[in-house]
Amino acid sequence: MDDLSKSSMKFFSDQQLCFADILLPHEVQARIQVAVLNFLKILSFPDPAISDLPLINRKSSNSRVSEGILTDVSWIFLSHSFCSRSLMKANATKAFIRVWKVMEMCFEFLTQEKRVTQRELFYKLLCDSPHYFSSQLQVNRTIQDVVALLRCSRYSLGIMASSKGLVAGRILLQEPNQEAVDCSACGSSGYAISGDLNLLESLIMKTDARYIVVVEKHAIFQRLAEDHVFNQIPSILLTAKGYPDIATRFLLHRMSRAFPDLPILALVDWNPAGLAILSTYKFGSIGMGLEAYRYACNVKWLGLRGDDLQLIPQQSLAPLKPRDLQIARSLISSTTLQDNYRQELAVMMQSGQRAEIEALYFNGYDYLGKYLAKKIVQANYI
Amino acid sequence: MDHEMLILKIPSVAAELVIERGDASGLRCENVFLPNECSPLNFSSSNVERLKSGLEEYVLKHRNSLNNKCDSCFCSREKLKISSGVASSMESHRSPGLIVEAVIAISELSESLCFRSSGNKTEVLHFKDFSPSSVSIASLNALTSIDWRSYGLTLVSAVDQVDHALIEWESLPPYLHIDMVIHCYHKQYPGKYKYQPDRHLIKKGVKLALDDLKEKHTGLLLSAHAVKICSYAPDLASSIAGIILSSNDLKFRSKCSTLLELSQSQAIGKQTVEDRIKEKIISVIETNDRKPEKIKEAAPFLFEDDRPQDLDPADLYLEEHAGGDNVFSFPD
Repeated sequence: MDDLSKSSMKFFSDQQLCFADILLPHEVQARIQVAVLNFLKILSFPDPAISDLPLINRKSSNSRVSEGILTDVSWIFLSHSFCSRSLMKANATKAFIRVWKVMEMCFEFLTQEKRVTQRELFYKLLCDSPHYFSSQLQVNRTIQDVVALLRCSRYSLGIMASSKGLVAGRILLQEPNQEAVDCSACGSSGYAISGDLNLLESLIMKTDARYIVVVEKHAIFQRLAEDHVFNQIPSILLTAKGYPDIATRFLLHRMSRAFPDLPILALVDWNPAGLAILSTYKFGSIGMGLEAYRYACNVKWLGLRGDDLQLIPQQSLAPLKPRDLQIARSLISSTTLQDNYRQELAVMMQSGQRAEIEALYFNGYDYLGKYLAKKIVQANYI
Repeated sequence: MDHEMLILKIPSVAAELVIERGDASGLRCENVFLPNECSPLNFSSSNVERLKSGLEEYVLKHRNSLNNKCDSCFCSREKLKISSGVASSMESHRSPGLIVEAVIAISELSESLCFRSSGNKTEVLHFKDFSPSSVSIASLNALTSIDWRSYGLTLVSAVDQVDHALIEWESLPPYLHIDMVIHCYHKQYPGKYKYQPDRHLIKKGVKLALDDLKEKHTGLLLSAHAVKICSYAPDLASSIAGIILSSNDLKFRSKCSTLLELSQSQAIGKQTVEDRIKEKIISVIETNDRKPEKIKEAAPFLFEDDRPQDLDPADLYLEEHAGGDNVFSFPD
């Protein structure tokens, strides 16, 4: 099955594209070895120096959009702009050394053929080098630095991010040599999506669903799963319990390729964060821009949208928070956002208000399922 | 004053000692003698070489309070490091023909047995036209305007103590002592020539002496910045050594050994590799520290074909804050 996005005509964007390769352990080790050899060579030159680390810039200034001509999938990718980490820069010395320390630790794990989660890596680094690593966020960023330096995916480094994703509904998922799991019989907790991308790649999937519904929040996912909404309208439910992780995006992308006729519909809160989550599934992210572009899917916005506000009571609207405004500004400045999404965002900003999906319960606990069904049947999604 | 006069080492100056004998005959005895020199100079030595030699002896003889160099404090030549700088005004200058000679001596005495340490202070001796002189405002200004931090020093104060300027340093290592002498004169001396001491010239002379010291002695007068970066060298070396030694690729390990100039024997331990890498890193930091700012080049990139096509200056600095402004950069 050919990847539709690959078959779209991409002219100039290809030359600009900078990406992380998906490599085997020994290939990643080879790259790390090259890094060490180059470092030592430059250190031993007649005019020796301590080389700087060139890292692909993961900022919006280095992001581009690829708009598929033959398909309707666009994605964000990173281009060739660099920033540089240097030992000699006063406040950046530790960041420089952090990159080497993570490379060292990944190298050891790859030699031992182990995979670790980001959390495990954090604790190991905290024990080994407490002077350099003080938070999970710092470790995650350093991992992204290594990805940007070696241009290989995080998973290739042997690092897994634990997934928060869940699947429920009319799909059978079978791991090799295991029993198939019927996700419609998993109860409200659903099937937990593994953080192991190789495992997800090997899943055999079968479905008779007609739609895929991506749900922002865990509580909503649970309600829909419990009510077996996926039987009323044959569908697959998926959630990442908030901002989507790579594994959840990976699986959604696999589903979209395996079942290209299934529209993917997003059910998010009516606020900038909800739209941001939808956009991430749709276009990818800049933070992981070297990899995430592969997993962009054509996701449509089902709800909550501006015209759904008439269905909820006034008192369920809450004021937008400063963080919401920050996210909104960032969304507005991004080039990927289509006009109708911009209009929705503008309405949010003008009203200064936000609403959660739960507000629909005002109309009864079973209203959510009805709302979903009605919107799907009416093809009321953008 | 007499002790200091000796620093100039003016050729064949003899000190006259006149003894008044209080007897009826009113005879005066005159004894003339030459100073005792540790390292006699050629008659053709330049003024600055003489000054340098003079300060050296001054320090070796504990400010000329001894007749000979103190062997217990200065048991090896390494204990005393000395350098000089000469700055002269150009013809186009408003006072052409001025010369400033500066000599700096750094003694590293683990324990000063002979005299109590003068701690964090340096007496900067001044000479003008081959005579001891008082301290000029220009000189004080010159001393306070030097960027001492680039030499790993922090100046607390420089005050006029009439016959010398007294510099107080912040936290000098206890075993380190600095002596300094500045000599200003006109090249037409002993011809009469009136001039004002020039602050810029004095500053230049002292800086030349400091740079000369740094150039000749690795690791001396490292800037605070370089000292800080050097402190990270062991950790960096440890990471790189860790990668080398956990590799199963013998060819790779062998190439690394070659680059590090280590023997190809299999038995090389992590500590050896680490120490060698650390040495090389520190050596680069120290060498770079000696280069004047304007000729410091950017370091090469680790992967040569990663020539930056578009370096965003704002991105050259680490941003610790969460990328909250960019919704697409939520941590994964």
